[in-house]
Amino acid sequence: MKLKFKIKVTRSQTLLIITLLIAIYYLVCGIYLNHLGYFNQETLFYVEKVRIIFEGLGYKLKVIGLTAPALPFFATFAFTSINSLLAPIIASALGTAALFYLMASTLVKKTDDDFYLLVLIILFLFHPGLLYTACSGKATYMVLIFFYMFFLNIFKYYTSNTTFHISIASICLVLLLFCDYKFIWLTLFFIPLIFSIALQSLNLAEKESIFRMTQSFNSPSLRRKLINKTFALYVILFVLPIASIICYKMLNLTNANDADYFLNSPYATWNVLAERFSYEKIALNPDFKNPEISLLITARMIIFCPLIVFAIVLFRRNPYQVLTLLTPFAFVEFLHIKYDKVFILHQYYLIFLILALLCFIIKAQPVKNGVLFKSVLGIIILVQLYTGYYFLHNSLIDDEKNFITILLNRTTDEQQDENRDMANYINGLPDGSKIMIDDAIAYPIVAFTSNIADLVLPYQENFLSAIETPGQYVNYILIANSKNLLNGYSILNGRYAPVVYQTGNNYSSLQKAYETDHWILYKLF
Amino acid sequence: MQISIPELLIQDGFMTQAEQEKIDDFSRRSGLSYIKILLNFGYLSRKNYERSLNNAGYEFKQIRDEDYDLDVLAKTELKFADAHLALPLRVENGKLVTLMANPSDELFKDYIRFTYDMEPEIILASDLDITWLSHILLGQKYVKSAVFELLNRDPDSSALTTFTTPQLIFTFGVFALVVIGMMLNFVNTSIAINVVLSSFFLVSIIFKLFLALVGSRFELHQAVTREEVREVVDDDLPIYTIHLPVYKEDKLIKKLIWNLQSLDYPREKLDIKLLIEEDDDKTLNAVRNLDFPAVFEVIVVPFHMPKTKPKACNYGLHFSRGTFLTIYDAEDVPDTDQLKKVVTLFNKLPSNYVCIQCALNYFNRGENFLTRMFTLEYSYWFDYMLPGLDTFDIPIPLGGTSNHFKFEFLIELGGWDPFNVTEDADLGVRAYAKGYKVAIINSTTYEEANNEMFNWVRQRSRWIKGYMQTHLVHMRNPVKLWKKVGWKGFLGFNFFIGATPVTFLVYPLLLAIFLCYLIFDLASIRSFFPDWVLFMSIINLMVGNILMIYVNMMAVFKRRYYELILFAIANPIYWLLHSWAAYKGLYQLIVKPFYWEKTNHGLSKVNNQAGAE
Repeated sequence: MKLKFKIKVTRSQTLLIITLLIAIYYLVCGIYLNHLGYFNQETLFYVEKVRIIFEGLGYKLKVIGLTAPALPFFATFAFTSINSLLAPIIASALGTAALFYLMASTLVKKTDDDFYLLVLIILFLFHPGLLYTACSGKATYMVLIFFYMFFLNIFKYYTSNTTFHISIASICLVLLLFCDYKFIWLTLFFIPLIFSIALQSLNLAEKESIFRMTQSFNSPSLRRKLINKTFALYVILFVLPIASIICYKMLNLTNANDADYFLNSPYATWNVLAERFSYEKIALNPDFKNPEISLLITARMIIFCPLIVFAIVLFRRNPYQVLTLLTPFAFVEFLHIKYDKVFILHQYYLIFLILALLCFIIKAQPVKNGVLFKSVLGIIILVQLYTGYYFLHNSLIDDEKNFITILLNRTTDEQQDENRDMANYINGLPDGSKIMIDDAIAYPIVAFTSNIADLVLPYQENFLSAIETPGQYVNYILIANSKNLLNGYSILNGRYAPVVYQTGNNYSSLQKAYETDHWILYKLF
Repeated sequence: MQISIPELLIQDGFMTQAEQEKIDDFSRRSGLSYIKILLNFGYLSRKNYERSLNNAGYEFKQIRDEDYDLDVLAKTELKFADAHLALPLRVENGKLVTLMANPSDELFKDYIRFTYDMEPEIILASDLDITWLSHILLGQKYVKSAVFELLNRDPDSSALTTFTTPQLIFTFGVFALVVIGMMLNFVNTSIAINVVLSSFFLVSIIFKLFLALVGSRFELHQAVTREEVREVVDDDLPIYTIHLPVYKEDKLIKKLIWNLQSLDYPREKLDIKLLIEEDDDKTLNAVRNLDFPAVFEVIVVPFHMPKTKPKACNYGLHFSRGTFLTIYDAEDVPDTDQLKKVVTLFNKLPSNYVCIQCALNYFNRGENFLTRMFTLEYSYWFDYMLPGLDTFDIPIPLGGTSNHFKFEFLIELGGWDPFNVTEDADLGVRAYAKGYKVAIINSTTYEEANNEMFNWVRQRSRWIKGYMQTHLVHMRNPVKLWKKVGWKGFLGFNFFIGATPVTFLVYPLLLAIFLCYLIFDLASIRSFFPDWVLFMSIINLMVGNILMIYVNMMAVFKRRYYELILFAIANPIYWLLHSWAAYKGLYQLIVKPFYWEKTNHGLSKVNNQAGAE
């Protein structure tokens, strides 16, 4: 007798299964790349801080509360028990899969056409930028999730006009800020958009915007209404993010005596040194020609994501939506001016991809010339895959460039070998040996060490005393030597060792215990 | 032959033949007496009625001090006397001295003849005076029922006992534990209290934000659409009772008439009761002196403690005729189509929906700081919180007015609790516990926001005291409540009814600690609380405040009161007023739990019709 099993799977269940498969795919890729030795500054920073929290000794409140960006940092907590070095990668892999699910679930509600779902799957499987998001362990996945949610709700607000959507958008923006503070500047570029929405919502017979504006400016009652509405809309959208940041700054002020501690301190955030270092390493070269020039940045974004042009064309009859789509361009241009000593991270390119996809998700309805539309879309997606590769490969940021190189060549990454060597040596020291390390720049080494409790780090109350009289507190001191380009950002650099050597407080001498190209570990006698 | 009163009124030009026929027809259909319809359904003002009768040689007498015979009174039922606006008082010279507002009411005269076997000696009196006297002399049975019905039927639900013995043991037990803890280890106990309070504060606010977001999701949902209201057939509408409990609201009577006349509901199907307390001559005289026809019937509530609004409403229930019933305050301006909407929604909903709550808002929102803040608060409460609770099937604490009931359900539940000063919130929970549901409707009643601070504190202290009472009543047996309302209802009830007063009581303490810490950087605070506690408390306080401010902003944004949005920032100051009221309420809960803090209405200078638009 032949038994036939027929399992009925609903569309949402299918989506869940696809998401699960994508998550597994990301996990495999991420762990594989990790085994090839790929690490980046951000991941190592999170690993080090999370390990301090779970394994360190001393006053950890500042590390818990003021490490930034806060949300990706907290997200790694959940996976630390599995493997502390892999925790950020697991978080980013699952997070990116969640992003796929969010986008796909919105998409399937809008259309039954599986073509669009297929496009989405292809992009999430093969787009180098999205692979970088998923497998690098960086916070980009969270930025993209909240960026997507923010714009999705803004678009929904245009059609539903409910406070719910605008409030959810505002909450998403708060979360986005706690993934990347720079998005606070997005608030500036929404002013014209909000003004336009307020203007359109006035009950006037006149349809043309310019005439509506003239009419409302000339009538005191309409003028008051327009101002009130513009202001109210702006407040409802941005008061929560702005207030959250003010509160967070106040917390920084009360706990670290510096309102911008989370932005400026290398103990609180990874990018304050990493981005500067990355920029200076390249930009100080006299032959260097920066491809990131104002206005050209917009062009670069369009080249990276031609889909966004297609998206703008889709919305050509909807002025709000077009203005909304243009806002991130202004935002990125502004970032370039505001943070001129920093290269634009890949996540700021990816937001355009997410935005473009969002437009297709919203507008995913049968178009007149379906075959032609889908063909053009297919070609653009292929181009998109290539530009994704191209931009990562030619990135000015080492972490990004390394990722694509290792992904394609599957060769071992040796960038962290030196840090691992030093960490391995520290791991081999006798039990109970205390090592003083300044994790402002040495966090990769701390991330690789096996026993955080043996380290004396700046978050501990006795660190300053140990700096003054190391003999009483530690047995070893890790010094950044003069070849280390970041040595100027650490207390424990080449200028520190001779001082302790010469003043000789209550110890006899220092001896080099281990040395790498950029680090020296001194033993105290 | 003496001319009859209807003919007299036609002769004097106060009525037309058509109107008389209309009244007769209505009287036949409804069983109401001619005089009742004439004076209470907008046909003729009392002044004109008296004028006409005086011209014809009748004389209206002051009757309050008339002698009466209890044996005579005992044979007449109040409802019958009230329906005919007539009252037999005593036997005199072989005749029965009878008060009548309509001396040509043959039916009542025949009643006297048959019941007492003698001819009536008629004394003409104002209908209001007869009502007053008849309710005082014959209303004791009803007023006792109004006070004790719930207590007799369901003593566990009555707030007559404020604190039960187990509750007192629990309260003092917790207090003793805290004191012992502080004596043994002051710092750790302080830390524990701080952590519990600040976490509770935050959780309760996040819960409110969550509810508000859920509520805001359905802001475009129209429970009843305009098209549905348009399709309502007047002849199919049921009789609708409106209770208007008032006390010394003489200034508002004229406004009240206009507001009621603008209701889009067949006049004959309205059963409006103006519930006036026995000692409230001010309001009674204001009704007497109206220059235009009234559209309501006066019911005088005899004196009995406690002197509360729910007692008056319970009393009014005995004289109500409607299938549905609602309560308005004297200054309320309901949406004109509200009653039709409610009837439509009741017809659409399953039968276990027994109450529909309308949104409340204020017509004088721009008057001063207090009215603005009040509007912010009400917008958030009625537009977001209640729909949020409704969505999650959590007991809804009904608002003070504009809650529309199925009449039979009110009777089944024993009416309102006269000992509870927020009787509506209590009724909402009681209904929920019995498996009934409350729905929210897209219709608003505009009220007068309290524009005077002390008046505001009085009103608010009563509300907060009522919440405490309601919480204490329903938490007498927490397990029983849990079983009745489920875990969602139980948590919702505790977070909503129980947590609200606690939040207000705790708020100034937390704020004071925070300000001391922030401004003076007090070393002693640091020594009491470790940094992690301060860190957590500050986050809780700031996040809590910001979220509540935001929720208020959302609500006025929805209402399109854009000019009020910035006032939400002043909420922390407004909450201090709440805290003041909360402490006053707590004090009163202990020393005079049933005392009804009277709110003065009619203080606003804003025209209510204009503001409601």
